[in-house]
Amino acid sequence: MNTALIKALALGVIAGTVAGLFGVGGGVIVVPGLVLWLAISQREASGTSTATIVASSAAAMIAFGIGGNVDWGAAGLILIGSVVGAWGGAWIAERVNERALAITFAFVLAVAGVRMVI
Amino acid sequence: MLEIVALIVLGLFAGAIAASLGLGGGIIFVPALVVLFGFDQHIAQGTSLAVIFPTAIVATVAHTRRGNVRWPLAIPIGIAGIVGAVLGAQVALRLDPDLLRRMFGIFLLLLAARMGWRAWRINDRPSAEPEPS
Repeated sequence: MNTALIKALALGVIAGTVAGLFGVGGGVIVVPGLVLWLAISQREASGTSTATIVASSAAAMIAFGIGGNVDWGAAGLILIGSVVGAWGGAWIAERVNERALAITFAFVLAVAGVRMVI
Repeated sequence: MLEIVALIVLGLFAGAIAASLGLGGGIIFVPALVVLFGFDQHIAQGTSLAVIFPTAIVATVAHTRRGNVRWPLAIPIGIAGIVGAVLGAQVALRLDPDLLRRMFGIFLLLLAARMGWRAWRINDRPSAEPEPS
């Protein structure tokens, strides 16, 4: 096996484990992994990461679903909102300072993190 | 009724943040469902995944059309990702929800620190190339 394939498999296992453990996509691991470890561009890393999330989120969703740990109704409602939100987000991204947005969002995440740890 | 509207609004915010900052929805859905809606940690995570899956399919179609997906890398990462995801989910489902919630909180704090530090640093060196993602 070539080195890139071994790196890709290792990255997949790590990202998949985080995705299953925390119920997230895993892009937070795959994107920097692809850029820093497999030296591909940011744009391709985003696209490639998204494709891998289809597989890992499906597997984790089934595992949670079998145990009765999915609220399908709530998921449907959030999905409806996020489709509209994605359009709005692209509009916002062109008009708002991305750095200010990132710092604000990091602060909100930190507050939520503290609330969850306590 | 109020909760129905609130869940749609959560989707709106998460979708907007995801599109403007390039972040996945999971790190927004899980804490919002737990902190704001009082969901059990396990159900919050399962529900988050049920939103991420269809969203990722749509996003992958869009990225594929623009030629942004490197399939020779995406396929092995995805296959290994399935193995990891099943493993991670089995661990998560066996953990006490309160312990899992605290672990998630630490995960969020680490992400917030990385994000804040990175955004801060870009301003410190205005002439430097922005850090990828």
